[in-house]
Amino acid sequence: MTHATKAIYKLLLSDYVKVSKVSVEDMLFDEQDILRSMDKIEVIDFHQTLEVNGIRFWCYTAGHVLGAAMFMVDIAGVRVLYTGDYSREEDRHLRAAELPQFSPDVCIIESTYGVQLHEPRHIREKRFTDVIHSTVTQGGRVLIPAYALGRAQELLLILDEYWSSHPDLHKIPIYYASPLAKRCMAVYQTYTNAMNEKIRNQFASTDPFDFKHIFPLKSIDEFNDTGPCVVMATPGGLQSGLSRQLFDKWCSDRKNACVIPGYVVQGTLAKTIINEPKEVTLTNGLTAYLNMQVHYISFSAHADYAQTSTFLKELMPPNIILVHGEANEMGRLKQKLLSVFADGNTKIITPKNCQSVEMYFNSQKMAKTVGKLAEKMPSVGETVSGLLVRKGFTYQIMAPEDLHVFSQLSTGNIIQRITIPYSGALAVIKYRLKQIYEGVESSMDEESGVPTLLVHDRVTVKTESENHLSLHWTADPISDMVSDSIVALVLNVSREMPKLVVDSETVVNQDEDSKKAEKIVYALLVSLFGDVKYGEDGKLVINVDGNVAQLDKESGEVESENGGLKERVKMAFQRIRSAVKPIPLSGS
Amino acid sequence: MGTSVQVKPLCGVYNENPLSYLVSVDGFNFLIDCGWNDHFDTSLLQPLSRVASTVDAVLLSHPDTLHLGALPYAMKQLGLSAPVFATEPVFRLGLLTMYDQYLSRKQVSEFDLFTLDDIDSAFQNITRLTYSQNYHIPGKGEGIVIAPHAAGHLLGGTVWKITKDGEDVIYAVDFNHRKERHLNGTVLLSFARPAVLITDAYNALNNQPSRRQRDQEFLDAILKTVRADGNVLLPVDTAGRVLELILILEQFWEQHQLTYPIFFLTYVASSTIDYAKSFLEWMSDSIAKSFEHTRDNAFLLKHVTLLINNSELEKVAGPKIVLASMASLEAGFSHDIFVEWAADTKNLVLFTERGQFATLARMLQSDPPPRAVKVTMSRRIPLVGEELAAYEEEQNRKREEALKATLVKEEESRASLGAELSAGDPMAVNAKITQPSSNAAGLQFGAYRDVLIDGFVPPPASAGPMFPFYENSAEWDDFGEIINLEDYTRNNEDMDHSSIPAEDDVNGKLDEGSASLILDTTPSKVVSSEQTVYVKCSLLYMDFEGRSDGRSVKSILAHVSPLKLVLVHGSAEATEHLKQHCLKNVCQHVYAPQIEESIDVTSDLCAYKVQLSEKLMSNVLFKKLGDYEIAWVDAEVGETENGTFSLLPLSTPTPPHKTVLVGDIKMADLKQYLASKGVQVEFAGGALRCGEYVTLRKVGDSIQKGGSSGVQQIILEGPLSEEYYKIRDHLYAQFYSL
Repeated sequence: MTHATKAIYKLLLSDYVKVSKVSVEDMLFDEQDILRSMDKIEVIDFHQTLEVNGIRFWCYTAGHVLGAAMFMVDIAGVRVLYTGDYSREEDRHLRAAELPQFSPDVCIIESTYGVQLHEPRHIREKRFTDVIHSTVTQGGRVLIPAYALGRAQELLLILDEYWSSHPDLHKIPIYYASPLAKRCMAVYQTYTNAMNEKIRNQFASTDPFDFKHIFPLKSIDEFNDTGPCVVMATPGGLQSGLSRQLFDKWCSDRKNACVIPGYVVQGTLAKTIINEPKEVTLTNGLTAYLNMQVHYISFSAHADYAQTSTFLKELMPPNIILVHGEANEMGRLKQKLLSVFADGNTKIITPKNCQSVEMYFNSQKMAKTVGKLAEKMPSVGETVSGLLVRKGFTYQIMAPEDLHVFSQLSTGNIIQRITIPYSGALAVIKYRLKQIYEGVESSMDEESGVPTLLVHDRVTVKTESENHLSLHWTADPISDMVSDSIVALVLNVSREMPKLVVDSETVVNQDEDSKKAEKIVYALLVSLFGDVKYGEDGKLVINVDGNVAQLDKESGEVESENGGLKERVKMAFQRIRSAVKPIPLSGS
Repeated sequence: MGTSVQVKPLCGVYNENPLSYLVSVDGFNFLIDCGWNDHFDTSLLQPLSRVASTVDAVLLSHPDTLHLGALPYAMKQLGLSAPVFATEPVFRLGLLTMYDQYLSRKQVSEFDLFTLDDIDSAFQNITRLTYSQNYHIPGKGEGIVIAPHAAGHLLGGTVWKITKDGEDVIYAVDFNHRKERHLNGTVLLSFARPAVLITDAYNALNNQPSRRQRDQEFLDAILKTVRADGNVLLPVDTAGRVLELILILEQFWEQHQLTYPIFFLTYVASSTIDYAKSFLEWMSDSIAKSFEHTRDNAFLLKHVTLLINNSELEKVAGPKIVLASMASLEAGFSHDIFVEWAADTKNLVLFTERGQFATLARMLQSDPPPRAVKVTMSRRIPLVGEELAAYEEEQNRKREEALKATLVKEEESRASLGAELSAGDPMAVNAKITQPSSNAAGLQFGAYRDVLIDGFVPPPASAGPMFPFYENSAEWDDFGEIINLEDYTRNNEDMDHSSIPAEDDVNGKLDEGSASLILDTTPSKVVSSEQTVYVKCSLLYMDFEGRSDGRSVKSILAHVSPLKLVLVHGSAEATEHLKQHCLKNVCQHVYAPQIEESIDVTSDLCAYKVQLSEKLMSNVLFKKLGDYEIAWVDAEVGETENGTFSLLPLSTPTPPHKTVLVGDIKMADLKQYLASKGVQVEFAGGALRCGEYVTLRKVGDSIQKGGSSGVQQIILEGPLSEEYYKIRDHLYAQFYSL
């Protein structure tokens, strides 16, 4: 939230905790909870761009109350604007809601006033001041039930200005009865940067919120009700509290007036008296005649139809979601907007509470190939291989060597050196290795002149001392495997040291091996499928729940009427065979 | 190829002169900072005057004279007419700084380089941005995004980030990474690997004591003096570091219930604090927090008295502490007070920043300090007798001349106005027209006053109207002035932000005292006398400049590790020192250009864009590494309908590639990790001994990121043992293998 909102948030909620009359158990939150929440709240200044997990967002002035903001959220290039409560009309202290520089893809917009139109501001203000002026000059009292924050400050500015220009009114006091008000003033006096230029320039000479004709009023006990006066009191709905006490006192006098300055919630007394009933119920349960004049002059800083439609026409968002408004009013607004955007492909959605709206945007993922990989422009059909690095919603493709240049990541190499006890000749090792690996090259170590072997272009074997060999390699999965096999080989060699190995022996071994392998294959198949028998011409017959499959051990072909079984047996055999049969040397 | 970037210093390289640099990004010329010194030496602006007309945008970084002092003069005399960008505090406090400079100068000399009106008109063009607001430059600079970021040092101080096509050019001078009372530290560290970083070498050779120790010494020195019945003078800037000093004093006075009076004396003192009060958004978290919780505005000062002239000061007897502008002691209240107090051994002059080169403050900071200094004492006194008569005669003559000149000008402008309107910047034309009619005509305008303000009576010789303004009146209709929309389209962006005419904007901003001074048109003159002041008072210098010190600067640079680094602003030694250091430890491309030497820092990066096809992306498995996600791709280049490249999955089997281990290993972290896994570890002889036999060693310094060896080598050695494989597994766990 913005700085001003955060300061006001604390004030409003602390005040709520203080005045709420419910028992401690029923309390939804207490002062401590508020303080804890304060630590969680991050502040954002208007236009400041923040980024969380690659999602960027910033806010614009909304013009509803001090600190009010409209948020623009940018997710991988798809922009969503949420207006919240906004007003496109500049007033005495607030700026009008800004028109975002970019058109959003989705615009979530309030529809509080639906298709209604506001009176022009100067007419409204004139009506307001005229009503007050005529009431007080005829000896009446004026009650303005208002919320503690927001419009109250604007009305006070209007009244103070009006009183300043009408010296005849100076003897009539204006009271502002809200315990919050004084505390809020500090916020208003500090966050002037969220206000419009006009009032900021006034701050340079005198503080416009330092009212000359308006006095604070703490409670009704302090109030000396002797003659005409103007009282602005909370709460705005006349539910209880000071505004209600005064209303009860004044409602039956014909000379008095009540000015309701803005939106009132359904079900409150303020909403009831707008329709000017003959009688009202007082707090003490009695009924009284409603003789005082009731005026409804809306200073509500919500956009009306004119503002909403112009705003949307300027932005031309392809998707509009209407929120915050009475269902009927919203429906009317939707119809009217549909006729405005009849030609385009604008979608207007009015979801109900808890109904989620899903929209899919196909955005092209673009990557930037940088560094060594990009030295040459590629042509169609060529291969690009490299690291794809994603940060937020940006992609870059680069060579591994460039990783540290373009990101804060770095690559590493692990060079391993392991020493193995071995006291025989290097030639023996070489001979053995040659049987396993194709590439075994002898060379000399440049520094020490010790003979070395380079195996598979990866691992170097070197005599370290009389009793030790050492292996050097740079870690990666294949080299690790090669080195492991060398280690095993060296260990084996040193164990069967004196024995010389004859070539033919390996042939014999191969025969034995194949027999062994056959046994293993059979055993494994049994463990997998249960009923496995040797059939004709060396085939294996597998019987599973009446389904029969025949397996050719040489080719791996499977015959079966049951397709599922056939596939399973085939797969199982392939796996078994690859485990049992030795890897063909160097793929040749 | 990358974005082309050129940097050309106009002032302030290889010395501590004011800052002013020209940075061109793909042909769009940014003038970054437009500073002047306290002497207002026009020769420093020679290079600027040669390029002023080609500047497309001006970015200001700090609200002090060194960073923006020349703006009014450049706008008026050097043909600078580009839009200016700054943060709100830089705008407001910068304006106040200029007022204070002007008024201080005006008191002691016939200052005629610029007037208050020039200051106003220069500042009214400023577009105000908030921190991390991305501002997309329209028109010629299409595609360039500028964003101010917190720099520390001064309120509203800015690190500018200029971005085009994903490449960042960062201008960061006078930043402070440390959090202070009223400011958060800079966010410079959050930028990684910008293409170009322009920074200063000002503090490369300076190291600071710890803040706590320094604060204590500062307060001790002050208290010692006032307790011994002496006065303390702190020469300060108008609206910059002084805010921090005020908070230090205010807090200390509050804690210890001290009663020695503190005065803050500048021509704009009360405005400065008023504005400071409304800039809480720009200050440190702790200040914002204290306001949110208790609504205590830190700048609601209880112990510091704000003064706008020094007559009040003289009334106060006993020891006192005065913070007065200018920091250089060249002019302003600090100058006068210094002359008055210097001869008393009890007094203390406490400098909180290094004086500008060749100023009185700098002389006094030398070691050992001079015994005596020559100063020029100047006073403005009203004219009397013959002088007054002569002055009036002169004024009359000037008035006549001015009249004629106006007429001539009128004729010219009539002829050229049409052309100008369509060709030139409408803002500039407006400024020109409204300027003379601006009501706050100062002393210089004394001559014009009668003509322009009282002079609606047509002069006898004139046959036509006097204001070029009348030209427009012919084009008015019922709906107001008829305007050619095209003239205004280009500047739409700028107008949004400053749509309210600056005339209301700047009026009423001055304190009453200053206002009376401006409007005081009593003919007066400046009387100067040379005087020798014996410096007997104590002199002390403590670093409260709020800049990162040399060591921190180096480590910050290493962390940010730009691909190319440009060093400016700093003594020749400091610049050379930092250059050598950075070449070794930061990157290979370090430049320290001379004045007017244009260097090309276009990145030699190659890059092209490709589209990642859905098919390819569905097969890519990313591994998460901090903020990054990373994967290996093998793809075939294809072409999309609109002719751009796209990457498709390979049609042939994937060829094997060399395994890449990604990760940054810190030996100390690894040691802890291994210890936590139950391995005995200790550092021995530059290697990490794990268990009994296995050693781990790291080759190639990872700090040297920009250097040739970006790949870290880790050597794992040991005999064949179980331990070896165990440690290897732990080590592998530190990397991502791709």
